[in-house]
Amino acid sequence: MPTLKIDNREINVPAGTKVIEAAERLGIMIPRFCFHPALGSVGACRVCAVAFTEGPVKGIQMSCMIDAQDGMVVSTTDAEAVDFRRHVIEFLMLNHPHDCPVCDEGGHCLLQDLTVAGGHGLRRYRGLKRTHINQDLGPLVQHEMNRCIQCYRCSRYYQEFTGYRDLGVMGIGSRVYFGRSAPGMLESPFAGNLIDICPTGVYTDKPSRYIGRRWDYQRQPSLCIHCSLGCNLTASARYRQVVRHEARPNLEVNGHFICDRGRYGYAYASIADRPRQAMAAGTPGPIVDILAGAREAIQQTVEKHGPGSVAVVVSPRSSLETLAVVKEACGQHGWTGPAAAHTNRQALNRNTAVSCLRPELAVSLAADTEAHDVLVIGADPLNEAPMLALSLRQVQRRGGHVIVIDPRGVQLPFDFDHWAVHPSAMGAILQALIQEIGGHRATAPDTPATFDITKLARRLNASPRPVVVCGTDILTPHEIALAGDLARALRRTHKVAGLFYTLAGANAFAAALLHDQPVSTEAVLDRIEDGGVRLLVAVEQDLWREFPDRKRLQAALKRLDHLVVLDYVDSPLNREAGHFIPTQPLYESGGHWINQEGRLQAASPVMAGGEPIEITGGSDHPPRVFDRRIPGDEPLAAWRAVAALAGEDEADPAPQLKTALADFHPAVNLSTPEATGQRIDLEAIAHDLVESGPAPEPAEDDAPADAVVLLLVDWTFGTEPLSAMAPALTRMEAAPVARLHPDEIARLGLAEGRPVTVSLNGNRLTVPVQADPRMAAGVMAVPRHHLLEWQVFGETRVIVKRSQLKAESE
Amino acid sequence: MSENKIKTDEKPLKPAESSGWSALKALVEGFATTAKHLARKPVTESYPEFKRQLPERSRARIVLTRDPDGRERCVACYLCSAVCPVSCISMQSAEQPDGRRYARWFRINFGRCIYCGLCEEACPTSAIQLTPDFENIQRDILTLVFEKKDLLVDGCGKDPSYNFYEHAGVTTDERGKGEHANEAPPVNVKSNLP
Ligand code: SF4
Ligand code: SF4
Ligand code: SF4
Ligand code: SF4
Ligand code: FES
Repeated sequence: MPTLKIDNREINVPAGTKVIEAAERLGIMIPRFCFHPALGSVGACRVCAVAFTEGPVKGIQMSCMIDAQDGMVVSTTDAEAVDFRRHVIEFLMLNHPHDCPVCDEGGHCLLQDLTVAGGHGLRRYRGLKRTHINQDLGPLVQHEMNRCIQCYRCSRYYQEFTGYRDLGVMGIGSRVYFGRSAPGMLESPFAGNLIDICPTGVYTDKPSRYIGRRWDYQRQPSLCIHCSLGCNLTASARYRQVVRHEARPNLEVNGHFICDRGRYGYAYASIADRPRQAMAAGTPGPIVDILAGAREAIQQTVEKHGPGSVAVVVSPRSSLETLAVVKEACGQHGWTGPAAAHTNRQALNRNTAVSCLRPELAVSLAADTEAHDVLVIGADPLNEAPMLALSLRQVQRRGGHVIVIDPRGVQLPFDFDHWAVHPSAMGAILQALIQEIGGHRATAPDTPATFDITKLARRLNASPRPVVVCGTDILTPHEIALAGDLARALRRTHKVAGLFYTLAGANAFAAALLHDQPVSTEAVLDRIEDGGVRLLVAVEQDLWREFPDRKRLQAALKRLDHLVVLDYVDSPLNREAGHFIPTQPLYESGGHWINQEGRLQAASPVMAGGEPIEITGGSDHPPRVFDRRIPGDEPLAAWRAVAALAGEDEADPAPQLKTALADFHPAVNLSTPEATGQRIDLEAIAHDLVESGPAPEPAEDDAPADAVVLLLVDWTFGTEPLSAMAPALTRMEAAPVARLHPDEIARLGLAEGRPVTVSLNGNRLTVPVQADPRMAAGVMAVPRHHLLEWQVFGETRVIVKRSQLKAESE
Repeated sequence: MSENKIKTDEKPLKPAESSGWSALKALVEGFATTAKHLARKPVTESYPEFKRQLPERSRARIVLTRDPDGRERCVACYLCSAVCPVSCISMQSAEQPDGRRYARWFRINFGRCIYCGLCEEACPTSAIQLTPDFENIQRDILTLVFEKKDLLVDGCGKDPSYNFYEHAGVTTDERGKGEHANEAPPVNVKSNLP
């Protein structure tokens, strides 16, 4: 613990801390361009020069390159150091274009700030400026290479940190160039972070290009709700439109970065077809009347058919506030539900994961990076929870080892072992691993010999810090519980072993706390079909887009007496509903979310809402009308709308929210502000939900020889319903294809590139075939792509017989 | 008690000065001056009958000027709206197909403007300029809200020569990389030659 003196103030820092960081702890910001806490030091820019007056190092030195040592005396204000830095800035500006007025970085540009701070104003150099040709880097990142100051942050981030190779540094001397070897789309789904880390305007945000200056934005801390990881971000809004997301550092969750799905997925909040008007059977009306009408319809149904005839489904993406009020309403009135998962398997998967996540096993996304060995089972990080892939990349960079057991053709931006095993073998592998770790010789499951379970068990057992990462999308509850058992078995031999589940939905963890026995939409549809449920309230759950059997859903909805929909996205159901109530996305309502490791996080409201000026003004001047009301400001926070539906009269819903949150679950404590940002009390969650014991009777899932398992899966872009509405991201999507192993294509008599039609129970899905040699045999993976009508089979994991597959000639 | 006395340089009047005669003299002199001015041509100018040409630098109604080649100068950089102490300027920046950044709409609320001239001082392109036309009075306050078409004038105003896009490094239909003032031709990054 060296002690040093910076600007006459003493500080004690851990060994290995750089002087620049030590100064930061004292609140002294030494100028920097190339130093970045996530990327470390390189000493490329020379702008962090300070004077070392006493101690082991003397003279003007780069504070980012020197470890803090005992007895150092550092002056950041030393005249010679100040002069040095001034000259560095002047030097960096030699080739800089005369661009600030048209540069999107202007206003939050580190180069601008340090140029002004360093006092450099007038150009003295008479020579010509070196210039570069820009590249088209795709729809997300704009390139303007002339503004570069050669700090190397971009190439270090892109190649070292994320593990992609298609962007880097070229050229020599003063001509170094940062870009791709040829123009084209950036391959990394983390490319958007270039915008945040580049200290100048070389990389700027393309979808929000020329939209405004940061100083004009309404900026608030927010969260990403496009997967269950809950990355932190700062949302910006201007003129009633969400215009930008930036990564918000949270060293316990996402570190300094976010993925591109999270960065660009916000467009749904401001698009033109967002529903902003309450409707009764498709006819717009004042929201108070519609709410009253819906409340009356509920009352009538309850009077006629009893309280259980009213059912509620809610989205696992909705805020904790919404879930709590919905839970309270169902509990108080005896309504059926709330259902917060589509199928029984999905509901059980989620609740199993949450109940297996013991406090001593839970690790955060950031802690994942410190693992030595990570076993990923039934998860496809890049597609399901992109930032998890970046965490695993750090494991590999630190010399750790990642092994993925998954039937899909999992790709990760680093070297890892992939066991492409059939889904039906996953449980057996987990069980064998648990036995081996427990010291028993396991009977080898029916897997290829290359997958050496004993070796893997030894490896995990010998690891100083193993972590088990488990997905919940394609597995069964039994396997999810086994993953938990495996982590527990490892913990018996290790002080530290981690367990990390990914879930479906940003607030899926909270949704799991709604009931001990989870309710699914599937179960609610059963009740509708047998006439038990007569009125359905869908809260921010767009069943039409997300429920995996659209035909069944539509038939069931027809049987209903009444449908009430509350949502902020456009859907055919909104117009079909007896009553439709527009709600607010998180930018307007704010709220709390619990991510997949149980961390309670808050998002602040960013703006008041209302139709964007871009729309009301028709892209021209804002209309010249003045009103006390903002056009399109009707949407309510979903919890308010639910409280209004459930309440006796038009009482203030705030106390109702307070009690609902207090009663939500003993594990969730919102009463102290310190609880936000921390993991909830996992101890208070019942841990006996699912028996993991011996494998259940082999269900229909155990594929017969002439069948394949059809998995409907997530892709990074194109499957998550909200982000799929962002125009910039639709340009990143690949077209939907069914991926199979080449041998499987041959075995089934299909042809690569040609469509295949899957017919099951009278439903059909036609999709082109793509060969993927990394896939397991006997498996077909189809994305839940918004361009594909995949909502046909009622499940996202089904068995398909060979006779049910037909190669199309087209 | 202090010994200090307030000193005045008031001199006592002489008997001749305090007499009734001198008072009468002053009265007559005063009336004579008034009478003289009654017959003189006034030096004040009657507004609005007479409209004097104001100096170029006087600060009144704001305009948006054009480049010497007649294209819009404003690049919608938001510096004027940022510096405006009463926040009366608003705009929306956008990109034209030719690569130039411009204001898709631009609005000044003259009902609020205090004509301080800070916007003109902040403008990096000489686009926004205050003119001597101070006669901007309206009965309906809404007519004081000027849109871009009301603000945009032909000509360069007080800066006859500056063309921002001649200097800025961004590519437009007129200039590519290396073609702006003071720029070397673009580097060939694939070459190792010095
Ligand atoms: S990178 Fe910074 S200094 Fe350079 S033009 Fe952009 S805003 Fe100005
Ligand atoms: S492009 Fe940006 S991040 Fe990369 S070296 Fe240049 S200034 Fe640094
Ligand atoms: S990893 Fe998930 S939570 Fe994080 S930014 Fe990406 S989509 Fe959002
Ligand atoms: S400062 Fe000048 S260029 Fe910038 S927005 Fe205002 S008028 Fe336009
Ligand atoms: S920050 Fe130290 S050399 Fe760049």
